Amino acid sequence: MVYEALDFYDIDSLLTDEERMIRDVVRDWVEERILPNIEHACREGVFPDEWRADIGEMGILGAPLKGYGCPGLSYTAYGLICQELERGDSGVRSFASVQGSLVMYPIWDFGSEEQKEKYLPRMASGELVGCFGLTEPDYGSNPGDMITKAEDKGDYFLLNGAKMWITNGTIADLAVVWAKLDGVIRGFIVEKGDEGFTAPEMKGKHSLKASITSELVFQDCKIPKDRILPDVKGLRGPFSCLNNARFGISWGAVGAAQSCFNSAKEYALSRIQFGHPIASFQLVQNKLSWMLREITKGQLLAYHLGKKKDDGTWIPEQISLAKMNNVDMALEIARMSREIHGANGILDEYPVMRHMANLESVKTYEGTHDIHNLILGRHITGIQSFTREP
Amino acid sequence: MDITIISEANNDSLHPVTAQMVGAASSIGGPISVICPGGFGSVEAAKIAGVSKVISVEGDCFDSYDSMAWSGAIEPFIEGDLVLTSSSTLGREISSAIAAKKGFPVVQDITSLNDGISVTRSIFSGKAIEEVEVSVPCALSIRANAFQPAEVGGEAAISTVNVSQQVSVAVKEALAKAGERLDVAEADIVISGGRGMGNPSNFSHLYELADEIGAAVGASRAAVDTWEEIPHSMQVGQTGKTVTPNLYIAVGISGAIQHLAGMRSSKYILAINKDPEAPIFGVADYGIVATWEESIPALKEHLSAIMSD
Amino acid sequence: MGVAVLLKQVPDTTAKISVSGSRVDESAITKWAISPYDEYALESAVALKESGMDELVAITCGPQRASKCLTEAASVGADRLIHILTDADFMDSCTLQSILSSAIQRSGCDIVLCGKQAADTNSGSTGPGVASLLGYTCVGSVTEISMDGGKISATRLGNTGLEKIEVAGPCVFTFDKGEVELRRPNVRGIMMAKKKPIESIGTKELGIEIGSPKASLKSHFSPPEKPPGQKFEGAGSIEIVVGKLRDEANVI
Repeated sequence: MVYEALDFYDIDSLLTDEERMIRDVVRDWVEERILPNIEHACREGVFPDEWRADIGEMGILGAPLKGYGCPGLSYTAYGLICQELERGDSGVRSFASVQGSLVMYPIWDFGSEEQKEKYLPRMASGELVGCFGLTEPDYGSNPGDMITKAEDKGDYFLLNGAKMWITNGTIADLAVVWAKLDGVIRGFIVEKGDEGFTAPEMKGKHSLKASITSELVFQDCKIPKDRILPDVKGLRGPFSCLNNARFGISWGAVGAAQSCFNSAKEYALSRIQFGHPIASFQLVQNKLSWMLREITKGQLLAYHLGKKKDDGTWIPEQISLAKMNNVDMALEIARMSREIHGANGILDEYPVMRHMANLESVKTYEGTHDIHNLILGRHITGIQSFTREP
Repeated sequence: MDITIISEANNDSLHPVTAQMVGAASSIGGPISVICPGGFGSVEAAKIAGVSKVISVEGDCFDSYDSMAWSGAIEPFIEGDLVLTSSSTLGREISSAIAAKKGFPVVQDITSLNDGISVTRSIFSGKAIEEVEVSVPCALSIRANAFQPAEVGGEAAISTVNVSQQVSVAVKEALAKAGERLDVAEADIVISGGRGMGNPSNFSHLYELADEIGAAVGASRAAVDTWEEIPHSMQVGQTGKTVTPNLYIAVGISGAIQHLAGMRSSKYILAINKDPEAPIFGVADYGIVATWEESIPALKEHLSAIMSD
Repeated sequence: MGVAVLLKQVPDTTAKISVSGSRVDESAITKWAISPYDEYALESAVALKESGMDELVAITCGPQRASKCLTEAASVGADRLIHILTDADFMDSCTLQSILSSAIQRSGCDIVLCGKQAADTNSGSTGPGVASLLGYTCVGSVTEISMDGGKISATRLGNTGLEKIEVAGPCVFTFDKGEVELRRPNVRGIMMAKKKPIESIGTKELGIEIGSPKASLKSHFSPPEKPPGQKFEGAGSIEIVVGKLRDEANVI
């Protein structure tokens, strides 16, 4: 059956023809390449290289960036791409988010001309894979106190420290790593093969299983001087990357929710108990109706945010709201959908528990739910409540 | 009105659809001529009741298939205001070419024919039916088995004409039919086995049947999970493939909800299960309570008999 | 030498078709697409053009919404896009074939690719009819095609089986589903397609007078409801069931 993504308030009518076409290309690819293979990839814990190649070929990496072989699309188009990828699997969308928003974007915004020419076109094509090293084993919500250190040794920088929970790390050709140089956070491009750099994979995940999650380990890692991102200092650098990724996630979560909603609806209509489809029972309809409400609200948030990103009138707190709200509702929808599926919901015959497990990660990464909550709290009151200090 | 039928041959013998076309034409009334391209089946055609004359059009151009050459060779001998062909691919190509040449409208694959001329045909792969009024003169192609055949008993005269027509399609090589098995997602007929097959090696019987009738072979999730030998690529169902064949034959499949999702949009479902309470009988159009051991050979016998026509 | 591809826009083949007021309800169609066999023709046309033909011209005949087919063709490499605007929902074969033949002449292409039949009408008259009007050769049920020098080679399902054939000179090729993978448009293609203009013309401009139709649509109706499922005991009933598959269900 043709996939009909829930669109109760007809967001489709607000899109341009190109945005629709781009969305449909990704949607068709997810149908053909991801859905038939995702459960297997999940069981094996692999991210097939063909997916990287296909995604590169579609030309959707670094969607909103202009120039240097990048697509130069609207933020709405970027959002739609994330929505369709995540309808497939959050891990697949994470690959694209990291590549585009967390690696291509900082090079594009803060890098030197040489760095942009060297890396961006080959990342846009998917030839080079990147990863983003901010989070550390002991510094997650509090990146400002990170301990990865860079020292200026005259001819080179010496990097020491470790990063953790890094998507794409083990398969990455390059990493944008944030480290303190003389106490100030700077961005450095570390390449696979640089002396003293390893990226072991983290195993044993119950979430984002079809995605590569790694540690980045720097032990007297020597990197050439020309690898520092010249134009940014402090947390502004990583935070602006995260804002872009979070925007994509707010759409992506809608995609995951749509997938869970569709599965629940189809299941409820075909599952007969007590002589009737369970879709005829009030408690089931209540759940489906709640899902429809939340998805519709989330879509409108995401769509309007995309317009604000495109015309430059956005503020980071608006992104926090969308990311937090949409991921939260998607996770609840996944759980509720699993309930509707009954025991069948625990099988990988259905996508719901995979989405549910994935969304646990999505709720935590790119700023935890609670942190975004406090970002909004600070915006409302003017008083920060992240820490005990004044 | 004068009716010309272009016969269809099966190797060298007349395809049954020819007698069906004569049957259809008889309902309209008027002298019926049959043209036999390449001369195939002309003797049989002359024996169909209701045929006034048979024209056997022969020539080198019929040694290989070139639709423009064949229709060019036949066209001068068409006198009828109603030209009928079968709706096989060849029949449609010939009727389209002749119709275009003569400025006739052509309507393909009709399933009913009334004076008027009014015809019905299926559209959207059978999801709807359309009724069309066609002005005469016209060309129509007839769906096989949609019309009653005329009886045997005619004694029409056969005239032979020799034509020479330029052939523009040069056949370089006949290719062996691809040995590859059809994919479940694309086949018109899918035969799926479930855990009721007892043993993965028993799927060989399904393959034999499938090869005989040109079907693809699938499997239920239960079969795929239980037996390593049955690969995931054969799975029909939620995370396997969704199939929409014209005919889905479910053998030894209970019909649990996961499997149903993948095959529910099949046009027709035939279920074979030895358990009369199996849920699959709730969705099957035709259900047979029997063991697969007895059923598969019988299916093979009767299906191949009908399908080789 | 250019290659032309004829594309028809049809409801997505998995769409639900409903009939209301003796007509298929078009407003209920949520997704339109290029007819599947035409997609194979388009893929081969793009490949032929890449192998050295001068240009690829995509042609469609239909209402405004059909221009989407041309944009999709442009996004995978079509150079020129011709849209003959018509709003007639039912067109007899003579009219449609005259329109398409004129459009092909306008395109200047000697090699024409199209699907072997459209997913809505399921007829298959267009390819051979157009070839006949233009005096071109016609090769049907093609699954592979390539160009060598001035000649075109193709694999086609003939009346005796699969064959490799060769044609020189103007020809229409009708396509069946092949082994070839359909290329996906990518973002670059989609954005470039925006820049390719669509030549929209009416039948008058083509010099076609649409006279009184030689065939007209009387009505659409839904197929009869499937009878409720029938259950039989024992393998002995298989002969009866197989007969029903042929006579009742018409699936064999």
